[in-house]
Order: sequence, then structure tokens, then C-alpha cells
Amino acid sequence: MKNQILFLVLLSLLPFLFTGCEERIDIPLQSDVTNLLAVEGILTNENINHKIKIGFPYQSMNGTSTPVSGAMVTIQEDNSTPYTLTEFPVASGEYYTPVFRAVVGSVYTLKIQYQGKEYSAQDSSVPVEPLIELDYKRVNDEYELNLYPNGQSANYIGHHISWKNTPACSTTDGCDGRIVYYDLKTVDVNEIYKPDKADFLFPVGTTIVRKKHSASAAYRAFLRSVLSETEWHGGVFDVDRANATTNLSTGAIGFFAVTSVVSDTTIIVEKP
Amino acid sequence: MIWIDPRTRVFLFLLVLATHVSVAQNVPEVKISISAKEKSLADVLEEIAQKSKSRFSYNPKRIQSDQTINYQATNKSVNEILVELGNQFDFQYSLVEGQIILKPVKKSEKSVGESIQNVTLSGFVKDASNGEGLIGPSVYIKALGVGTTTNAFGFFSLTIPKGNYEVFITFIGYKPFTKSIDLKTSIRENMLLEEEPQVLSEIIVMGAPAPVVEEIQVSKTNLRPRTVEERPALFGEMDVIKSLESVPGIKLQSDGSTFYSVRGGSRDQNLVLIDDSPIYNPSHMLGIFSTIIPDAITDINVYKGDMPASIGGRLSSVLDIHTKKGNDQYLQAWGSGGLVSTKLGVEGPIKKNVSSYLLTGRFSTMRWLFQNADENLKEFRFHDLTGKMNFRFNSKNRMFFSFYTGSDNYFSGNNGISWSNNAGTIRWNHLFSERLFLNTTVSASGYDYFLYTDVSKNQRWNSHINNFNLKTDFSYFIKPQNELTFGIGVNGYNFNPGNVQEGSSNTQISNQSIRNSVEFVLYGNHEVTLNKKWGIKYGVRLSSWTNIGEAFEFTFDKNHNAIDTLAYKAGEPYITFVKAEPRLTLHYLINEHSSLKASYSRNVQNAHLISNSISPFTSLDVWLPSSVNIKPQLSDQFTLGSYHQLAHSGFSLVAEAFYKKMYNQIDYETHAETLLNPFVESELRFGTAQAYGIEMQIKKDEGRLRGMIGYSYARAKRHFAELNQGKTYNAYSDRPNQINVTLSFDVSLRWTIGMNWNYLTGSPYSSPVSFYSYNGLEVPVYGQKNNDRLPDYHRLDAAATVKLNRNRESKFQHSLTMSIYNVYGRKNALYINYNKTELGSKDFKVPSNLLDGERAISQFYLFQFTPSVTYNFKWR
Repeated sequence: MKNQILFLVLLSLLPFLFTGCEERIDIPLQSDVTNLLAVEGILTNENINHKIKIGFPYQSMNGTSTPVSGAMVTIQEDNSTPYTLTEFPVASGEYYTPVFRAVVGSVYTLKIQYQGKEYSAQDSSVPVEPLIELDYKRVNDEYELNLYPNGQSANYIGHHISWKNTPACSTTDGCDGRIVYYDLKTVDVNEIYKPDKADFLFPVGTTIVRKKHSASAAYRAFLRSVLSETEWHGGVFDVDRANATTNLSTGAIGFFAVTSVVSDTTIIVEKP
Repeated sequence: MIWIDPRTRVFLFLLVLATHVSVAQNVPEVKISISAKEKSLADVLEEIAQKSKSRFSYNPKRIQSDQTINYQATNKSVNEILVELGNQFDFQYSLVEGQIILKPVKKSEKSVGESIQNVTLSGFVKDASNGEGLIGPSVYIKALGVGTTTNAFGFFSLTIPKGNYEVFITFIGYKPFTKSIDLKTSIRENMLLEEEPQVLSEIIVMGAPAPVVEEIQVSKTNLRPRTVEERPALFGEMDVIKSLESVPGIKLQSDGSTFYSVRGGSRDQNLVLIDDSPIYNPSHMLGIFSTIIPDAITDINVYKGDMPASIGGRLSSVLDIHTKKGNDQYLQAWGSGGLVSTKLGVEGPIKKNVSSYLLTGRFSTMRWLFQNADENLKEFRFHDLTGKMNFRFNSKNRMFFSFYTGSDNYFSGNNGISWSNNAGTIRWNHLFSERLFLNTTVSASGYDYFLYTDVSKNQRWNSHINNFNLKTDFSYFIKPQNELTFGIGVNGYNFNPGNVQEGSSNTQISNQSIRNSVEFVLYGNHEVTLNKKWGIKYGVRLSSWTNIGEAFEFTFDKNHNAIDTLAYKAGEPYITFVKAEPRLTLHYLINEHSSLKASYSRNVQNAHLISNSISPFTSLDVWLPSSVNIKPQLSDQFTLGSYHQLAHSGFSLVAEAFYKKMYNQIDYETHAETLLNPFVESELRFGTAQAYGIEMQIKKDEGRLRGMIGYSYARAKRHFAELNQGKTYNAYSDRPNQINVTLSFDVSLRWTIGMNWNYLTGSPYSSPVSFYSYNGLEVPVYGQKNNDRLPDYHRLDAAATVKLNRNRESKFQHSLTMSIYNVYGRKNALYINYNKTELGSKDFKVPSNLLDGERAISQFYLFQFTPSVTYNFKWR
């Protein structure tokens, strides 16, 4: 009888050895070559050369875009004379503006002429709210960022993390990281129950440069759709898959954004 | 050779008889015996003439003597025989100079004649052991070849000529019942059926024609609670919704889901009724289990089309569940204990034979299992509670009170979700006469969903749908196999499409209008067997749906931008939809074992689920009524079926082909915002859908080996002008091939084993055709909507139940069920992900560091090889 009870108990526990999980699957992508132009362009209120990156979508995961080289790219602020962008380096698909600052309230128009077709997009920036102090916590002998919503407006914060100048960096490669925290102020169940992110730990002495970007309504909608297809995808409450929205005219994807940014730099100090 | 048709031959023969055979004056009193099976009336009359040494005279065209009849009489007078036949075939006889003259009955004479000659046998068919009214037994008068089935309360009514009859009642799981009744006047008599004890032989008793062959209804499957109980179940949790996967044409979305699609429809197009109250979300644990357990159920019917006119409001299916009324003979308790829940039930008489009660509950017991896995887990529980009371005031009046309540609560960290379903029904059965049955139902149900975005501040998003229904149904049993049902109903609805509540008060930050609707329904349905071959069922359901203020609605331009707000005062009716839902079914009985049926039906749906989730789990459910921006959904369905019963084997075969076109279907703008979006209707897109296919099923409900084998091939397509570049795309439920095998076998009187195997083509989904990079994220680019398919789904389950008692008469019966879900450990994908990185064995996460992380294609699946043990007991 004892053996029977033991058997039943073991049998009852078995399910938890075999319940749901995730694993790699080898299925072919139904790849398709498209002639879409993928545009990634952000103007900010920083007085710099702003970059517009143009490429063709790639057909396999973890791939790289084939650059769209030789395009005629211009940006116009309201009705003023357009800036012409310069491709640099040559054949890189990266186009730079002259040094200027994008201002809140102005409408910026991007125009791309490529192989006889013209693509365009418009956006304007909204003010950005100030950053609050960087919050981080100790995990064993390393540190991890505490990220949470703040402020009233949709925004995202890019964190450039480098510990190259610390003793923990043994090589010159692999001592950098980039984390982006999105706070779009939307209520989406796939965001609330989004899949877990990998832990990212860094040593004491790490330098973190933060840039907080504001987001216009159209930019927020674009970021929400991108996140639905990327970071928020794969949780238990997924939504129907679809292409991310765009503010580019037909034939192009991606987004031309104009944002306001604030930034700060923090060096990680030892915490109990 | 001169060809003379049979009717003329009979006529000539009778004329010859008339000239040569002398007729005794006392012919009507001569007693003879007749046994006719599948013979023409002319042949039967000839036999009567021979045996009674009489002669007949009639016009074969007016009497229709070529019709085939079944007739039996033992030592009856010719008078009795001719009266019975005359009532059945609308003629009367007279004796003129020793000759029997047959004349057709004129309509006016017929009604008078009927009132004199016909009487009604009515009553309830009940389970002898507990008094439970049995739904669906076939009550058959062999001598007349006529019969009927009991209604949802076990009531039957047969209006037949006076006489001495053998009443024959058959019902699956019960011993065949026969009773001699001398019908001189109308009588009401309850018939008590005894359960068939388990035997280890394949004895199939064939009595009346199989219901699936004889009934005019198409696309209906009756699931016995016992069949549900015998199926191997996940964690041993017997589950009505999950058992629907054994019905061809019904496709469960995935493991761990109670969502199902019927004949290409959407998941919100399925109506689940418990005692006439709708249950909007019949799921526990996000859908891993359903709320409906078979313990408290007496009957389950699922309609995939051709729904009864008395039921409406959904396009694709009705799952009509009736709970037990409670044992009115003795106290009984039962229960079970499994890995995730404990069930307890009790039922018994309040006053023996007069009133009874039933109370059953299920409570989750699995929190401890997950507590160690997730330290943030605060709540993880569900429960159900079902109750019923029944009172028989006198032979004509009976009342039922029933309720169902169930809830789920899952809280982890500062987030949580919870939902609850509540339903209550009061029913009054009244017999105006032996032929007119009334059922009046008052029911109310509500479904609430909460999403807690900040538990510490009690900040939560809430949506609900509540409804109140009042309906009166009449059943008028005109004659055997001639029934008229009609009724009237009024339904009230209250929709909250989702608003935020904060703090302890119920103050709502409303950005979406609460909607109120009222629906008036009038329906009628006539089901009649025209002759031995043909039957027809036709009817119509008329509904008038009106939205009533206080409410506000937005109007949108063609680009879906809001352009105006329409405000309506409290009590102000502001939009009405009047719809007719006709239905027609033709039935042709090829022979006693085979029939063909053809059906058309239209359905209307005015309550719509707004959700762009593709998750198989219960997520945020928002219901909206038909209104300014949402037109009623409509469907037209055509069905052609062939139905057979294999004589003496107990097998029934059903094959149906269907075509369904659905209008005003809802889909969504890409990445639609359906939560807290005041302009949520601007995110909706409208189009059409169509589904077609064939379904086949072999079923055996009785015997040592029982089960169902089904196959279906069906397609489901959708077309929306504003989606997928206006091109037609596969619906999410487009899973062409479906195979289901469910078997149970009694190894011995104590051991029963069972298995089920299900196969489904994988669900369509949109897979990326390419990618681009934005802000360090790898963004997929999609081509055609639903261009790809998940891997095919298949799963084998097995179970064995052992009765722990050796004494079958013991008052305490208990058993142990061991089941294995997904025996061969198939990894059935719920999702394919393209955005995660593999950190270790089966550890997939979204990369944090955008400069690093090689993404891989991964599949998420649930429940590989999952054994479980459940202990069940019953005491009386």
C-alpha cells in the first residue's frame, strides 16, 4: 500500500516536470524580397549632425540591411529652405544633416528620392520632461537598473552603458551595452504581460549616459506598434501580428521622428 | 403484355372481390390479427378483406392506398382496425349492402372525428432512481408507427386514436421500457426508466428509429455527461467545453484554451447557455479548464447550425446545457479530489417525489503548487458553485430555481486579473392541457472582467456585460410528429466596454459610454412529419434590438477620424435593428435506418466581442452592442446531411456538408487600441467571411466499446476591403483537416479504459517575410495576412478508471481515474516567436542589451506528457 501511495504522489508531481515551455524550432521563414525602403531617422533638439539611415529589409533574422546608397535626401523645417543630407561614409546608407537643432512646434519634412521615386514623411516634436535620478540596485557584486514609468508624457530613455574604463573589462569588446526603456503611457495587455527580458548587469564604475526622448502622437503610435511586434511580443496575451505603422509614404517603412531630448551621465558607485 | 399500374390492379382486384365474395352482416365485429411492415395500405386492406371475408370499395386515388405503412393489430375487430387506420390515413368507412365503402374524411368532418376518436397520452419520462426528467428519450407506439421525443423537461405528448397500445421508450444508458396502455381517454402518465447496468457484452437493443435518423433537426450533437466523464482529461478535470473537440467542425484554439470556433466562425459567435442563462466566459485559469463540469449536468446539446428558433443571438453555435434538477428520491453526495481542484456535490429531496435540491461546488487547490515557482504570487484561485431547486406544486405546475457563480483571481506583483460569471434562472412549467406545454423563464447573468494595473492603489480596468431575460415558450403537440413551438421574449443588456476605477470607491473615469439595449423576440417553429417519408421544420425568429440612452456615440469619417459626438438622454431609444431569422429543414426518410436532410438558416448577432488578441487565453473581454457604428452580424447557412444507423450494431453515421456566409464581420486596424480608447469603434473594420466543408462522424453510445470517430475538411476565409490590401485571407480558424477519435472500453466490470486522439491542421498566423532595424530592435515585416501556419496539432490522451468497490450495490461507491494527457509528448505550438534570445536550455527571453543577443525562432507550448490521478466518490 505504501508503494502505491508513493507511486500516486510521484505521478501527481510529474506534470510539473513536463508542462509548458519554450524551445528553439527549426521552421523556414517565408521570406520575400521587397523593394520597401526601411527608414530610421530621428531629429532632436541637440545641435548636431542628425542621421537618417536608409536600407532594404533583410530576409533572415539577425541580418543586416543592404544600404540604400545614392539617394537624394532633404529635410525641410516648415517652409524654409531644405537641408540636403550627405551620405557618409560612401555607400553606407547613412545620411547626415548639417549641424542644426530641431525645435518644438516646427514641422519637419523628410524627402527621399531614390531610383525615380519620391518618399516623404513629416513629424514635429513635443517637449520632453526632465529626467529623474537614475535608480539602480546591487545584485551580488554587480548592478542592475531599476526602470519604471515617470512623468506624464510618452517617452523613451536610451541608456548607453560602458564599463570599458573599469577593471571589470578584460577586453575592449563586449564592455558596452544599450538599454532602451519605453514609457508610452498606453494601456496594452500585451505590454502588462510582456515576456521577461534578459538580465543586464554591469560593474561598479560603469558610466551610463541617458537620453530621454519625447514622442509625438504619431511617433508614440509607431513605437507602440514596434514594441507589440518586438519586446511585448511572446507573452501570454499576444495581439494579432501586423506591420508597424509608419509616417512614410507608400513604399517605405520605418519612421522619421522629431523629438526633444534631455540627457545626463551617471557613474555607478558602490551601494550596499 | 398490357401494363396495369399497381393501384389500378388493386382497384380491379377489389372490384372483383366485390362481385364474388359474400359479406357477412357482422363484418365489423369479426376479430382478426394483422401484422404489416413496410406494406402498402392497399395490401393491408386486401389482407383485412381476406381475413374477414369482406369486400372493400374505394377510389385508390382519393384514399392514397399506395402509401407504405406499418401496422399491427392482434385479435382486434375490423371496426377497431378500420377506425385506427382511418384516423391515421384520413378516411372513414361505412357498410353499404355488406360492402365496406372507404371515403376520405372531409376537413370539417375530420376535426369532429378527431375530437371523438383521438386521445392524448402525455407525461414525463424520468430516471427511476432519482426522478430526474430525461431529455430526449424516444416514446414510440409501434402499432401505429408513430412516436415523439421528450422536451427539455422530459415531457412528451402523443395524440393518437383510442386503443390498446404498447408504449416503447428507448434512451441511451437506460433499459428499454415497454408498457401496455389502454387509451380510452386522455391520460397523463409518467414513465420511469431504469439505468442499464454495466454489462460486458455488446447487446444493442433496437427499438424506435435512431433520433439522428428520425429527427428533422440537423447539425446537432448530443453529448452525454457520461461521455464527458469518460474522456481522458487534463489534470483529471472533466470538462464539457474541452470535450467539444471530439465534434467534427468544432475546433478548439489550442491547448490551455476554452476558445473554440464552429464552422469557421469567430469565438464570440458561440452561445453557451446554462439553464437558458448565457455564460460569457466559461473558462478558469485563463482557459486551461472550463467552468462547466459534467457532475451537475443532465443534458448537453451543441448546435452547429439550424439552432432552435427559441434560441438566438449568435451566428455559429449554441451549447445548450441543462443542469440536473436534483434527486427527489434520496440524499446523495459525490465529490472528487485532483491535483488542481476539489469538487463536492450534494442533492436530495426536500419532499420526496415533490421537490428537490442540488448544490455542487469546485474549488481550486493549486496555489501551493505555484507559490514556490513565483515568489510574487499573491492569489491564484478559482471556484464554481452551482445550485438548483425544483418544486412540483401539482400535476400541472412545476418550478425550478437555479444559479451558477464562478470566479477567477490571479495576482502577481502589482498586477492582477480577475473575472466572474454569475447567472440565475427561475423557470415555471405549466401544462395547459395534455397537448399544450408552457415554459416561462426569467434569467439574469453577468460577466465582469478586471485588469489591475496597480494593485497598491486598487487601480483597475473593468468591463462587464449584464443581461436580463424574460421569455415564454409554448409547445403545442398537435399530433404525433407534428409539433408547434412558439414564444415571446424580452432581453435587456447593459454593456460597459471598459473604464478605469481607482481606490475603494466605484468611481469610474469614463471615457467610453456605457450602453443599454433592449431586445424583443418573437418566434415560431412548426415541425411536422408529412408522411412516412417526408418531414419539414420551418420557423422564424423575429428580433427587434434597440439601444437606449443615456449614452454617447461618436461618428467617424471615411478615414476613421471622429467627426461628431451624438449624446442621448436617459431612456431615449436611439437606434433599432429589426431582423428576421427564417429557417427551413427538409427531411426525407429513406428507410428505418437512413435519412437525408437539407437545411437553411439565418442567424443574427447583436452583441460583439471586441478583441484583437490572438492569445488562446482569456484576455480582456470587451463586449459592445450593435449600434451607430457596428451593424448586426448576419449569417446564412446551408446544410445537406446524410444520416444512418447500422442495424443491430449501435453505430450511427452522420455526414454533413455546409456552406456559411457571414456578413458585417469584425476585424481590426493593425495594432488596434481596444482598451480605454474612446474611439475604439474607429479601430474596427468590417467585412465578410465564408466557410464551407464536410463533416463525418461515426458514433456508438452504448455497449462495451463506445466512442466517436470524426473527420472534417473545412475552409474559412475572410474578406475586408481595408485589410490585407483588400485580398481574401485565411481566417484564424481555417484549419482544413480535423480528425477526432474518442473511445471507451469496459475491460471488466471494474476497469474502464479510454483514449482520445485529435488532429488539426495548424492555425494560420502571419510570419515575417523580412526584418528591419529600428532603435536597436529587429522589426518584422509581414506580407499577406495569415500567410503561414503553425505546425499541425495532434495529441493522444489515455485514461483508466478503476472502481474501488467490489460490491456494486454498496452505498458508498468510489473510483480512481488515472489519465495521461498528451501521451507521446507532442509539442503543440501555441505561438512562434521571432524576438527572443536563448540564454540557456529552454530559457528564452527578450534581449535587454540591444548591442548583443542573437535572436532565434522559438515555439511556446503547453502540457507535454501530463499524468494525473483523481479520486471520485459517490454516496447515497
